[in-house]
Amino acid sequence: MMKNERKRTFLFITIPILALFVCFNTIPLIRGVIYSFTNFKGFGKYDWVGLRNYIDLFSDGRVGKSYLFTFKLAIVTTIVVNVISLVLALGLNSKIRAKSFFRGAYFLPNILGSLVVGYIFNYFFTYILPALADMTGITALGTSILSSPSRAWIGVMVVCAWQAIAMNTIIYISGLQTVPEDVYEAGGLDGATGWKQFRYLTFPLIIPFFSINMVLCVKNFLMVFDQIVALTKGGPAQSTESISYLIYNNGMSGGQFGFQSANAVVFFIVIVVVSVAQMKFSGSKEEQL
Amino acid sequence: MTKTSVAMKANKTAMILLVLGLLTIIFPLYMTVVIAFKQPSEMTNSISGILSLPKSWNLDNFREAMQVTDFWNSLKNSLLITGVTVVVSVLIHSLMGYALGRNKKSKFYNFVYLFIVSGMFVPFAILMMPLAKQTAELGLANWAGVIILYVVFYMPMNVLLYSGYLVNIPMALEEAARVDGASTWRTYWTIIFPIMRPMHATVAVLTALAVWNDVMTPLVIMAGTSQNTLPLAQLNFQSQFGTNYNLAFASYLLSLIPILVFYIICQKQILNGVVNGAVK
Amino acid sequence: MKRKRIKCLGMSLCCVLAALTVQGCGDAGSGGRTEIEIVQYKPEAANYFKLVEEEFNATHDDIHLTISSPNDAMTILKTRFIREDYPDIIGIGGDINYSYFVDAEILADISEYIGLRDVKQGYLDIAEALELVPTEGTYIVPYVANAAGILYNKEMFAQHGWEVPETWEELKALCEEIQAEGILPFYFGFKDTWTCLAPWNAMAVELAPADTARQVNKGQTTFTGEYRELSEKYLQLLPYGPEDPFAYGYNDACTAFARGESAMYPIGSYAAPQILSVNPDLQMDSFVMPACDTAEGRTLNSGIDLGFCVTADCKNKEAAYEVLDFLLADENLQKYIDAQNAVPCKEGEFTLSPILDGMTSFIEEGNMTDYQDHYYPSEMAVDAQLQTFLIKGDIDTFLAKFDSDWQRYNRDIIRLVQEYEKTHGNE
Repeated sequence: MMKNERKRTFLFITIPILALFVCFNTIPLIRGVIYSFTNFKGFGKYDWVGLRNYIDLFSDGRVGKSYLFTFKLAIVTTIVVNVISLVLALGLNSKIRAKSFFRGAYFLPNILGSLVVGYIFNYFFTYILPALADMTGITALGTSILSSPSRAWIGVMVVCAWQAIAMNTIIYISGLQTVPEDVYEAGGLDGATGWKQFRYLTFPLIIPFFSINMVLCVKNFLMVFDQIVALTKGGPAQSTESISYLIYNNGMSGGQFGFQSANAVVFFIVIVVVSVAQMKFSGSKEEQL
Repeated sequence: MTKTSVAMKANKTAMILLVLGLLTIIFPLYMTVVIAFKQPSEMTNSISGILSLPKSWNLDNFREAMQVTDFWNSLKNSLLITGVTVVVSVLIHSLMGYALGRNKKSKFYNFVYLFIVSGMFVPFAILMMPLAKQTAELGLANWAGVIILYVVFYMPMNVLLYSGYLVNIPMALEEAARVDGASTWRTYWTIIFPIMRPMHATVAVLTALAVWNDVMTPLVIMAGTSQNTLPLAQLNFQSQFGTNYNLAFASYLLSLIPILVFYIICQKQILNGVVNGAVK
Repeated sequence: MKRKRIKCLGMSLCCVLAALTVQGCGDAGSGGRTEIEIVQYKPEAANYFKLVEEEFNATHDDIHLTISSPNDAMTILKTRFIREDYPDIIGIGGDINYSYFVDAEILADISEYIGLRDVKQGYLDIAEALELVPTEGTYIVPYVANAAGILYNKEMFAQHGWEVPETWEELKALCEEIQAEGILPFYFGFKDTWTCLAPWNAMAVELAPADTARQVNKGQTTFTGEYRELSEKYLQLLPYGPEDPFAYGYNDACTAFARGESAMYPIGSYAAPQILSVNPDLQMDSFVMPACDTAEGRTLNSGIDLGFCVTADCKNKEAAYEVLDFLLADENLQKYIDAQNAVPCKEGEFTLSPILDGMTSFIEEGNMTDYQDHYYPSEMAVDAQLQTFLIKGDIDTFLAKFDSDWQRYNRDIIRLVQEYEKTHGNE
């Protein structure tokens, strides 16, 4: 009797919410998938083209390039962000002054509008950084890195990292707070200090937080869009076109809605596979401990 | 003794790093404020020019920005959309997280869980056109439609966080209530919901932040309703052939305040929230 | 059925939402007056259109006019089209989107509209040429045009006694002279890819046939054949610009030119407001890009910047025409021209902005040719390809890619054109 009541309640909760989700996420997604088999421009009439969009996708140099760029950016940014956040978190976790002031300040990059972020970082990379390089004599930075096809991605990476570090740091701090004091004390007796202490005591205990951060980072940076629009608009020489940027720009603004829908479908599958693989991997790591 | 000295050293290095990091935040903020007070004719490409203080600290830019964006109206719409979305998200997503988190062993619920979470990875661009059509067919091409869409869009992330957090809440709490004869529904609202408060704060901040800054959804869904949200109104500052950065920056500073206040209110709760929910 | 279920769910889920749904979809009717709605794509002209809206409604009892000038109007238009919520009149430019809209039968044939008789034939021809395949009707009332060439700093020119060049050789000689005096001849803002198209278009009108794109679609020529000289000459301009032009955006370039950091800036008249906002006292004028070897070979790069189309869905065409009449009235058009430094598409006496002085004779003679990029599909990103080309300087690769990409991005259009050619033969 009790059991039934509980089951009924759960169903009563789940079914309507699931229906809402299906209506406004799954059904439009299916419609989008249907468009991926057409040459729909986003308006007007269209024809069925079968698998043409998908075949094109795999022979399109621009799409291939955007995948390479996006993955390169995602991997490097994920590493950079996690290393810095971890260091910051270790810092913020120790007893320092004005802790909550720092926490508040570090949140700011998240809320500055992308027009502002774009303008300021453009200014920084175009005028300020080269001037600083001149003063210090670092010729490698003498010209704007955003104007060089081989280095512009670094600029994008810096801005992505700048905005993402706050959230990651907060998650790591929380992780560090779950590590009990006595672990360190026991470790101290065995002579584990500094790096050793971190490597063998602290880090294993915060692996769950590490893996959450990795998954969220990889997902967010694979879907990078705002920072590209704000900073480079895909340039120079199309070297910073991310997949999301291409899908939006050519699908919505351009007349390639059908083709880019196919791109989006493939991209969706790729991200799901990457994320599942990541979770499986970190899951097995956690079990080992 | 060694332990404390190591800790002291770590503290110092940490402080230095934090202050250095802070510079990367103060500097852009300074530029934003300075530009927001300048006139277009004070804009230059020279570094000393851009970093110099404005000629006068009058509030003309802010006044004009408020007028161009129809500030109070847009603010009202933004607050309304963000507020309702956050409240509804906290209510619905926590319920869903509860239902799914407590039934991890059931194949059906597990499937629903993965199904919803995978919604996180759907590129918005592919949904845009179909959604524009669908919301119009349902008579939802207005801010109510925008709210519904937000509630759906942020469901995956929030359900993930809520159901994760539930793992840390012992079943014993519920069982005790059940013995007293309370229904599952009642137990949830009287016991579980209040306990998840830190998580509510996290979800509220994450959702509010995303909704507050979002341009695309209202642009596509509310097109033609002559209703604006703040980010939509701020589009007025930029066009291909000319952008008034001074007004735009003033306007962004204005719209930053409400969300910053909201974050500061929630931030004490957030920490515990992210932690416990995120793990498993 | 499904619709009902969703509504029910909405209710049971959350009464707040359901309560909200009731609002929102009300229609702002104004008692018996015909509603006409215009969506136009130039947000920078929003103030002008606000004024037109007010004046029109004050003087007309039978029609109520609403004009919106949203940013990102193309996205808004497309989403409204997909939900079959058509404005009565849309204000767009004469570019590939117009071609697509005509092809999609979204626009109404307005060849019966009397106001068209006052429009300069040149611009009607341009509109005609934009149609993917020739049609019987007319679908746009060209309103204003813009003109692209080279803006120059009048004061600086007068000071040094520099003359406006009329041929390619003269232009190069002038650049050398300017450079010799330690001044930067050109500023470029190539970080914003679309600005790469400005000099390209301005030179293309003189160096390549106006209907290059159409000829390629018909299979009669290739871009490799038509664009070589153009590409070569474009590369020759680069040394006269800033050292790393790809570091600077449009905004940087406007600011730099306004501050006198360069003598010239190859861009369109549309840049004037942004430049003047930085330096309101700047004396500036313009001249036609001299890309060919004779002064007579020059032609002004000018296209339809804004035109009005009545949608096929418009219920009351007469009312729409009345609105168009109002917009085209000389005094209103003059206001637009003053505000935007535009060139009118209508016959008649208008006062043009002084920054167009150097181009006036071309405008009066009707010696104008449309932008080549109005034929390029935006998803092909010719602007980005141009930027790549300018960075790498490899003409062969650029042109080969141009040709192969063109075939790929335009295959549906090419099929359409070639089918048309087959059925209509040698017209």
